[in-house]
Amino acid sequence: MAKKELSAEERQERTLSILTPVVSVLLALVIGAIIVACLGKNPLQGYGAMLQGSWGDASKISKTLERSCPLIFTGLCATFAYKCGVFNLGGEGQFIMGGCATACVILGGGIEGPAGLALGLLAGIVVGGIWALIPGIMKITRGLNEMITTIMLNYIALYFMEYVYKMMYSDQGLPKTVAMPKSARLADLAGTHVGVLLAVVLGVVVWYVIFRTSFGFKIRAVGMNPVASRVNGFPVKRLVLLAFVISGAIAGLGGSVELLGRTPYRLADGFGSGFGFDGVAIALIAQLNPIAAVVVAILFGTLSTGGTMMQSVIGVPTAIMDIIRGLIIIFAVAGMAMIKLPKIRAFLTNRKQSKKTEASA
Amino acid sequence: MAELLRMEGISKRFGSFYANQDVSLQVEEGEVHTLLGENGAGKSTLMNILIGLYQPTEGKVYMRGQEVEISSPGVAVAHGIGMVHQHFMLIDDMTGLENIILGDKRHKSARLQLAEDRKTVEEIQERYGLEIDLDEKVSDMSIGMQQRVEIMKVLFRGADLLILDEPTAVLTDLEVQGLFDIMRSLTAEGKSIIFISHKMREVMAISDRVTVLRRGRSIQTLRVADTTEQELADLMIGQKFQENTYQKVSAPGAPELTLKDVSWHPEVKHGGLKDVSLTLHKGEVLGVAGIDGNGQSALAQLVTGLISPDSGEVEGPDGSKIAVFSPQSFIDAGLGNIPEDRNKMGLVGGMSVAENLVLKQTASDRFSSGHGAWLKMGAINDFAEQMREQNDIRCTSVNQTASSLSGGNQQKVILARELESHPKLLLAVYPTRGLDIGATEFIHNQIIAQRDAGCAVLLISADFDEVLKLSDRITVLFEGQIMGTYTGANPPIKEISLAMAGK
Repeated sequence: MAKKELSAEERQERTLSILTPVVSVLLALVIGAIIVACLGKNPLQGYGAMLQGSWGDASKISKTLERSCPLIFTGLCATFAYKCGVFNLGGEGQFIMGGCATACVILGGGIEGPAGLALGLLAGIVVGGIWALIPGIMKITRGLNEMITTIMLNYIALYFMEYVYKMMYSDQGLPKTVAMPKSARLADLAGTHVGVLLAVVLGVVVWYVIFRTSFGFKIRAVGMNPVASRVNGFPVKRLVLLAFVISGAIAGLGGSVELLGRTPYRLADGFGSGFGFDGVAIALIAQLNPIAAVVVAILFGTLSTGGTMMQSVIGVPTAIMDIIRGLIIIFAVAGMAMIKLPKIRAFLTNRKQSKKTEASA
Repeated sequence: MAELLRMEGISKRFGSFYANQDVSLQVEEGEVHTLLGENGAGKSTLMNILIGLYQPTEGKVYMRGQEVEISSPGVAVAHGIGMVHQHFMLIDDMTGLENIILGDKRHKSARLQLAEDRKTVEEIQERYGLEIDLDEKVSDMSIGMQQRVEIMKVLFRGADLLILDEPTAVLTDLEVQGLFDIMRSLTAEGKSIIFISHKMREVMAISDRVTVLRRGRSIQTLRVADTTEQELADLMIGQKFQENTYQKVSAPGAPELTLKDVSWHPEVKHGGLKDVSLTLHKGEVLGVAGIDGNGQSALAQLVTGLISPDSGEVEGPDGSKIAVFSPQSFIDAGLGNIPEDRNKMGLVGGMSVAENLVLKQTASDRFSSGHGAWLKMGAINDFAEQMREQNDIRCTSVNQTASSLSGGNQQKVILARELESHPKLLLAVYPTRGLDIGATEFIHNQIIAQRDAGCAVLLISADFDEVLKLSDRITVLFEGQIMGTYTGANPPIKEISLAMAGK
């Protein structure tokens, strides 16, 4: 592959696009520290505990990765859809429906062993895709706004799951399903499950599809300019629909992996809760780069698992972590918008130029 | 009559381009003064200077003999200048009255003084015969009444000089008569009106005097009583008949595309097509002349497969009827397209120059293996570099986003992409709009080179000079209908310009 020669502006753009999320994270951590200090605790000790609790030893690392795994899936789900200009906010519903499909196939069909695992994952992919196909069809045929329809479908999925774990496969009448049979679960891998590896590989695959195939090229073109895409002969509606389905399938697979990979291997209240919107935030912070989305998802996982340790060591509520996560999102999105402002651009360019002239003088 | 407005030696420069150069305009009290000119002649720029949106690079503005500096739209209102824009600036969900008083600052109180304002408005209504239902929502009003609301807004703010920007473009004939009645009662009361239009008939009917603008300069001011439509048309287009630099083709090849009585939404006057028949031959340029918004867009969309006709037939080169209207099928049949809006329809601005150059071909064997499964980034880059060289596309790198290029270079990217596939039919819509002379020349040469290579070219342009220069045959579109087709060698310019005005 030929090495791309980058112009000064592109280099600057690239630097800024990496710098912004990093600075956002640091700023959020600083403000988080101030809040912790206001509560009368030592923030350094707190962050130490957070790191200790998430990356301190092998078992903690695997726990963090396990926590990140569903976020990688929903992050990739959002990334793929947004690349095509589709604002899929239904990652959570698609994730849940994927989990439900897996549960129904394995528990309902009574299939165990590798066959159960394979069919369970396949069912998750298919049903997740179908759950996203519905708003897709509504959008391209009737022009309904997918932001609304996908959110509404989240609720339907949520209550459908409740029906599944209360009425269909309830464990002795308790509000949770029977656990997935051991033989159909995902294999262990260095203290965690292979689903984590699958998620990371999927990140690379999604990157490849979006940036290195003709299909992904068209998806991006449609996302950036649907009119020009149509004029130039792309089947815009079909591509949009495919973006919905693929995005939903990714989330659906995430639901299956979560169910078959992570304790307690059951559907119950709270399964998938909040993952959809975290995925949206991850995609935005990662600037719709699939590989960056994997990294950001792991950061979110770290905040989650580390937060618990922080709570127990210095005694601040885990809500601090939610605040920090919220701040990262705000800073990243605001920062992204800011560097696109013409005034800021002009300022940055001027500064660079004046630096150059100073250096030469 | 006393002088109300005088603009002297106004110039407005954008970069190296003069939108207005040494323009003078003088308007007297109680007159309708028409500003006549083609698209891009500088009418809008001049009016934007007058209402304070732009600051002139040079020149002075006098109101009632006093020099004024119109530094903002607010200052313009204070001097009694008001503009009715071509596209209404009304809030659909509010009533007529609410829209009229919106943003007015006469009352110090924070509370709305509806009753008092209603009285003021009703007085003005009575005085000038402006029929408005003040309590009706704008969304429920007819276009004519919406326009009267706009006029009322301006009068309510105490304007003595009203600028009406192509006010008749959206009106039916009957509504136009109503508007003219209002204009006459306004001038009878001493108000002055600057009327912008390029419809000769209306200009003759309503104006007292006419100032002709061409290419940013004011050419002449005439009394309507002392002139003719013919003279005005000549002045607007420019008497100097541009020297033919390209050989005209008199015996073109076989038909490439034939339209037979094609209609598309014919009830829409400014956007539909009505019984359009034309034949496009191999190796000729067919120029479509006409004033913007007379069906050019629809014609372009039809020829690119974006819309299918309501009635009539479109035939391909072998005389067979085209049944499938989709961009892909037209592209497969050999269509090259330089679309009307290069940013919106031609380029994906967020993608790089290289990506835009290979836009349609990413699945081809040349740029990918496995029919698009693996893009050959190296081949794409090499191709882009080659295109950049051949077409003199000026960019710092082919990986730069297309939106960061100048208009001329953007157009060159589109041209490079479209001509690379050796089209059988080339559609060029406003191909040089907004471009400088150099880029325009380059694009003209490329179009003629395609023609000489046997490509059928359909050129749609609002730039009359361009149509004259390039076309082997000229057809005129007015309100969606073909007014006539003329020879491109020694064209009957006067006849064509009258046809463009619907005569």
